[in-house]
Amino acid sequence: MNDEYYLELSENPVQFENASSVNNVFFDEANKQVFAVRSGGATGVVVKGPDDKSSVAFRMDDKGEVKCIKFSLGNKILAVQRTTKSVDFINFIPDYPHLEFSHECKTKNASILGFCWTNWNEIVFVTDQGIEFYQVLPDKRTLKLLKSQSINVNWYIYCPETAVLLLSTTVQGNVLQPFAFKTATMSKMSKFEIELPAVPKPAKLSLSERDIAVATIYDQLYVMYLKHHSRTTNSPGAEVVLYHLPREGTCKRTNVLRLNTTGKFAINVVDNLVVVHHQSTQTSLIYDIKLRELDGNVNVHQPVLPARSINPFKIPLTGPAAAPSQAPLPCELYSSSWSVFQPDIIISASEGFLWYLQVKLQPTLNLLQDKGKLMDFLLRRRDCKMVILSVCSQMLIGGDKGNLSVVATVFDKLNQVYKEYLDAEQAYTAAMESGPSRSSAYKRPVRTQAVIDQSDMYTHVLSDFTEKKEVKHKFIIAVVMEYIRSLNQFQIPVQHYLYELVIKTLVQHNLFYMLHQFLQYHVLTDSKPLACLLLSLESTYPPAYQLSLDMLKRLSTANDEIVEVLLSKQQVLGALRFIRSVGGHDNASARKFLDAARQTNDTMLFYTIFRFFETRNMRLRGNPGFNPGEHCEEHVSYFKQVFGESAVMKPTTA
Amino acid sequence: MDHNGQESGNMEEVKICDPSILPQCPDHTDTDVPSENHCVNEDHRTPSDPEGLLESADHSSEQDVLPQEPSTEMQKLHVEDDRSLCPGGSETDSGKASQDSALVDNSNDDSGEFVVTVLARGKMEEQGMGMKGASSPLSETGTPLGPPSHRNEDVTADSWRQHRKHVFVLSEAGKPIYSRYGSEEALSSTMGVMMALVSFVQSGDNIIRSVYSDEHTVVFMQRGPLVLVSVSCSRQSEQQLRNELVYVYNQIVSMLTQASITRIFEHKKNYDLRRLLAGSEKILDGLLNLVDSDPSFLLCAVHCLPLASSLRDSLSQILQKAITPNLVFSILIAKNQLLTIVQEKMVIDDARLEPADLHLLLNLIGASSAFQAGEIWTPICLPSFNPDCYFYAYISYLDPPECTVCLVLLSTDKEAFYSVAECKRKIEEAMQTQNALKSIAKAQSYSVSQVGVSDLRHFMYKPFDVPDNHRQLTQFTSPEMEAPYSSEEERMRLLDLYRDLHGRIHSASRPLKLIYHVAERETLLAWVTSKFELYTCFSPLVTKTCAINAITKLLRWIKKEEERLFIRYPPKYSTTPNPSRSSKTDAH
Amino acid sequence: MLMISPRMASGMQEKQYTPSLLSFFIYNPKFGPREGEEEKKILFYHPIEIEKNEKIRNVGLCEAIVQFTRTFCPTKPAKSLHTQKNRQFFHEPEENYWMVMVVRNPMVEKPNKDGKPPTVEYQEEEIIDSVYGSVLQQCYSMYKLFNGTFSRAFEAGGVELLTQKLEKFFYRYLQTLHLQSCDLLDVFGGISFFPLDKMTYLKIQSFVNRVEESLSLVKYTAFLYNDQLIWSGLEQDDMRILYKYLTTSLFPRHTEPELAGRDSPLRPEVAGNLLHYGRFLTGPANLKDPEAKFRFPRIFVNTEDSCEELHLIVYKAMSAAVCFMINASVDLNREFCEKLDSLVGPQLTLLASDICEQYNINRRISGPEKEPQFKFIYFNHMNLAEKSTIHMRKMASVSLTSVHPDLMKILGDINCDFARVDEDEEIIVKAMTDYWVVGKKSDQRELYVILNQKNANLIEVNEEVKRLCATQFNNIFFLD
Repeated sequence: MNDEYYLELSENPVQFENASSVNNVFFDEANKQVFAVRSGGATGVVVKGPDDKSSVAFRMDDKGEVKCIKFSLGNKILAVQRTTKSVDFINFIPDYPHLEFSHECKTKNASILGFCWTNWNEIVFVTDQGIEFYQVLPDKRTLKLLKSQSINVNWYIYCPETAVLLLSTTVQGNVLQPFAFKTATMSKMSKFEIELPAVPKPAKLSLSERDIAVATIYDQLYVMYLKHHSRTTNSPGAEVVLYHLPREGTCKRTNVLRLNTTGKFAINVVDNLVVVHHQSTQTSLIYDIKLRELDGNVNVHQPVLPARSINPFKIPLTGPAAAPSQAPLPCELYSSSWSVFQPDIIISASEGFLWYLQVKLQPTLNLLQDKGKLMDFLLRRRDCKMVILSVCSQMLIGGDKGNLSVVATVFDKLNQVYKEYLDAEQAYTAAMESGPSRSSAYKRPVRTQAVIDQSDMYTHVLSDFTEKKEVKHKFIIAVVMEYIRSLNQFQIPVQHYLYELVIKTLVQHNLFYMLHQFLQYHVLTDSKPLACLLLSLESTYPPAYQLSLDMLKRLSTANDEIVEVLLSKQQVLGALRFIRSVGGHDNASARKFLDAARQTNDTMLFYTIFRFFETRNMRLRGNPGFNPGEHCEEHVSYFKQVFGESAVMKPTTA
Repeated sequence: MDHNGQESGNMEEVKICDPSILPQCPDHTDTDVPSENHCVNEDHRTPSDPEGLLESADHSSEQDVLPQEPSTEMQKLHVEDDRSLCPGGSETDSGKASQDSALVDNSNDDSGEFVVTVLARGKMEEQGMGMKGASSPLSETGTPLGPPSHRNEDVTADSWRQHRKHVFVLSEAGKPIYSRYGSEEALSSTMGVMMALVSFVQSGDNIIRSVYSDEHTVVFMQRGPLVLVSVSCSRQSEQQLRNELVYVYNQIVSMLTQASITRIFEHKKNYDLRRLLAGSEKILDGLLNLVDSDPSFLLCAVHCLPLASSLRDSLSQILQKAITPNLVFSILIAKNQLLTIVQEKMVIDDARLEPADLHLLLNLIGASSAFQAGEIWTPICLPSFNPDCYFYAYISYLDPPECTVCLVLLSTDKEAFYSVAECKRKIEEAMQTQNALKSIAKAQSYSVSQVGVSDLRHFMYKPFDVPDNHRQLTQFTSPEMEAPYSSEEERMRLLDLYRDLHGRIHSASRPLKLIYHVAERETLLAWVTSKFELYTCFSPLVTKTCAINAITKLLRWIKKEEERLFIRYPPKYSTTPNPSRSSKTDAH
Repeated sequence: MLMISPRMASGMQEKQYTPSLLSFFIYNPKFGPREGEEEKKILFYHPIEIEKNEKIRNVGLCEAIVQFTRTFCPTKPAKSLHTQKNRQFFHEPEENYWMVMVVRNPMVEKPNKDGKPPTVEYQEEEIIDSVYGSVLQQCYSMYKLFNGTFSRAFEAGGVELLTQKLEKFFYRYLQTLHLQSCDLLDVFGGISFFPLDKMTYLKIQSFVNRVEESLSLVKYTAFLYNDQLIWSGLEQDDMRILYKYLTTSLFPRHTEPELAGRDSPLRPEVAGNLLHYGRFLTGPANLKDPEAKFRFPRIFVNTEDSCEELHLIVYKAMSAAVCFMINASVDLNREFCEKLDSLVGPQLTLLASDICEQYNINRRISGPEKEPQFKFIYFNHMNLAEKSTIHMRKMASVSLTSVHPDLMKILGDINCDFARVDEDEEIIVKAMTDYWVVGKKSDQRELYVILNQKNANLIEVNEEVKRLCATQFNNIFFLD
């Protein structure tokens, strides 16, 4: 069953001292840091993350209960909120005074809901009456107000990745006002409303921040609304509604993820997949918003795969307490003490672990029967190459041998991605050549693992597939041809080794006539190596000779090869006629042709060739004789010996 | 010396007896030639003569009686001699006619045998000589294709099958007459089958023409009572093979005359004609070798030795001067090529010597070294001229012992031996004084390189009779076959290529005007216009432009050399003794 | 009845008769070796009316001829016998089995004055051996395609079965021989391939592969469009004769019910809705028909070694035709045919329109072809590919050639020359009519061109041919 789990927790979680009465634990999504604050920091603060190795530890005076604590980007400045009125700062920049200083929010009798760093020295205070955007001046130990905006706020969510701040406004709290931050600037984005399942009477705050998550999927910012099951609307179960939040323009409701059940849920985003954890069933579902099944104006999605639990996790025993005899004890999944953060973080405060959630692709092979859909799914994953390739081999050799049309679709999907990459590449290089000025616009296209090129296909799939004895050769050929077809369909130039593969297979089963027909329709693109390969087949299949000559002719750059081939076939006249037809006879080597003629032991032929060159010499030099440089002496004497002195051309004639 | 003595001794015998051998000949000639020529010898005519052939046939058959009398040949001959000499001969003839037929019935099948006795005996004597010498003189003409052993070849051996061209002659009764290879006896059954095939198809009111296999072409031809079959793997056209069979037939006719052949088989269906042809197979062998190796037969034209026109003219004049009554053709030959030919005017007026006949004559001469010894006087029929009558050929070499220059004088008078021999002496003298023999010896065929076109290897050019000299004998010219055609095989191959072109361009059903053929080892061009017929052979690498230019150049060259290459205006003379004519000749 | 050829000169009442079949017989000398048994040798004789002894005599002649030629070359017996009135062609396809075809020479009938019977003149040189020789060989191949070898039938059911089969087959087949219109193309017996771009060809490839996969019964497949071959799973020689059968016999019998216009590209939906034009050319004429029979013609392939017997299913949609060949041992029922129909029909319909579209595109690119100065025939012995602008349409009945028969015969002559040597050759001739005829042979290829520029010279003609090669045969190696 192990290969059934397609979700797993990172195997070295960030460990920290678990939350307790004396130890408060905070998590900063921006820096992915866990703060363990013992007795208000007096007995020390331990900061862990983003991975197990990195950690910071320090002390600070206990000035009352800490509400919120975060480092600015790069751990430069620490901000601590203890009251609803002010935030305290501690300088962590080396050789700066390590003294605390505090700042009150400027709005009278507003209470600070929280704050978030947007830069190493810029911070936003979120109050119930608005937001205040400051620049921190550590040396002066003061803050400079950059911008502020007054607006009633129920709660807020900050997406560090995109530096976008969402404010919940209005009584019901379902109108969200986003702000975008960029060094020293703050821009207000158009607000939008989350459709509530039911409007309560009288109006009261009915959208909680627990039901909203913000994350970027496929490089787009989405607001995810966990819409609970409502009796009134007879929907089968709860849904996750996605609102696309573009930098410019209005936010639109784009996707709906059907959960088909009810209960407590938590959302993660991993590898552009939306993962919904369901506590009661202790399982998770994954959704790919690009796997679209059209349904009305928004895309309604079903889970890509059947619900599965996260791969069970064994807590590694570390420290002196660990005894080798003791087996690692399983940790409770989906526990109530779990808190889930975007995009892919799961924290168990009670056990003091921070995991990154991960998707395992291998199991999907067996869980997703529709190979086409599977490909669509895999091609969008980060570490997909090997999995995809194994899918291919599996569908060709494996037990569940897909039929040709499936093979075809798979190949087409792969080559589509392949082609897109090649085009991008080409456009880029083209731009480069066209001069750096414009090229700045282009950036070198990144080659993702989804790009499966011909050599990948050849080395990992086709080469050993075609070796398989148990597979019917009919199928082998069909598959390779299918691949070539697909490449051609996307106008991808086919590599020579694929043709070799075809020919090898056809020859193995002496399906020469088939090969002949392929060449006849130029299915195998012309090339010198291919022509040579054909030539090598002549002994077993004579027509190959003609085929290869045709190919050389079409290449039009292979005249020398043609002459060599003809000479090797003792077609001396043919060779000479050919070289003449391409106008090369004036600088052809007389020696070469006379040698060839001699080898045939055909004196008549030798006479003809000899005469041809005599006449040529005559034309070029006004003298039929050969130059010493041409090394034809032995041939001249042979000629005399066979046909007599008199037969040699006289300078006077012609 | 002794040997020479022997020869001359032989010749003596030949000389003496020859004129007297053929008793019926005077009747023949007297009847035949006039029937050809209305104005000659008017006065010699006997009233019965105009009936022509039938008459003369009776004469000859009448002689059938005599051989029955037990007598040596010599006696017989003399007896005949006397008889024929008696003036009343011609009268008695008609009277004898009925008796003949009666006799023929109970007579042995010797009918018409005499017609050839001259040739036959001629041969026998040669063989006599031959026995003294190493081998039979005729074998000297043997080419690689035909060593004398061919007669007794094993007809079941592959070597026999592999012969390039077989020729068979048989009688309607299926009796073998001639086979080029292997003895007729051994082949009698095969020939039987041939005849069966012929008559089977005939029985279906149809005519068998030929049979084709991947290897062979078998051509059947019937001529009167004779069936001729050619089995060849030479890939020649059916028409060409047929023409060759016609040559074979005509060569036989030249020895027997058509009339007598017909007559013989009329009398006896299953007559064995070999008895008459005994010894003369070698003439047919020689002919067939010549047919294969000499394009003259293909082109039906005469190849004359290139000669400065001045020299040719003086030779013609020499011949013109040396004349005697009934002399109709004086022919001078060197190296088996024609030097010049002079013709009796009256004969020329409505007939002329056909190349075909000349070929047969040349073959006859070439086939027999016997002619190299002194003088020969022999009757010969020229089928194209007249298949039923004889001429009397005086043949003698002028340059013994080399024997390259040969004089042939044709007379219509069997008695004319001495007068004709006299002509020869005149000619010899004249030539000596002019030292002609030397200049003839110098004369030789030319090399294609003289044309000066590098890619041109060989050619054959045959001008057509043009109105102004339409009486001219059809000729062709062609250079020596030099490298790369130095070997026998190569020569034969080139000739075959020419034959191919010729066959195609003259195809009965689909004749062509021009053929340009880039073949395996040469490029050939054949071109037929109203003025000439041309066959050329180039290097296989010649370009079309090149070839066309070469042709133009060649034609120009030939025009320039015309006088040397051809006999332009064959001279004529008049031998008519009757005054009216002579006055006419004086007018010249 | 006699065909009156177009060459019959109008005006004068002289009649021209084209060659016609006099008789056709098959015999085996081993079957009646003894005297008086001769009749046993004769396995088939056409026309049947011929009197027994006449038959025996004619067979006898053939035996004699063959025997006679064997005395000169035991391994290469006679191929043909020429007589004044006719020609006989001999062919020994299997040991001791002889096929003989007797063709009457074409003749001219010249009427005579005062009621004398007209004089008949036979044209003895008009018939070209190689052409009619191949016609005879074709007769055998065609028989073999549908019946297997002679000896096979003999082993199976003795002389009775063999004679039965022969009569059954040749009775019909001989009527389809059109001796007056035989020419060089019969010598080649070539296959005309449909010109197609790589992509469309690959589509067809994968179509064939997929069908063969889903209909695992199918052993071989062949794909044709516009009566031209695109793909053959059969070996070359079998395909050659099957192609001959399809294009000269089967297809012409099923002239398109759907309008030619239909071939214009159609919207994919149409095929999606299974609204397709597929139909069986062999087997059931109409699947809906409850009486429909599911019997298909049997054919024999690979007769040299394995000799497989197969059902021949020919299925056609618009101009695209597919042959499915299935082992004869399985019997095909309604279900199978319906499955095939539903599977192949839509795809084939779609493919057909694809091909048509592509074809039109290519045509547009190549531009409208105007009547060129020349006509040509191309043949490649290597793949039997054949191309001809001389034959407008090779129909079941007659092949309408656009050139004078004499020129066609000149082509035949040139072809015979080429057949002699395997070196490259070129022959250019000028006919009496001043037409130029060019024959080129390069490796295994032969090209024949007829030019009607009467006053052109050799060099111009050469240029013209070069131009032709450049346009038509640019993609192959053709020595000049």
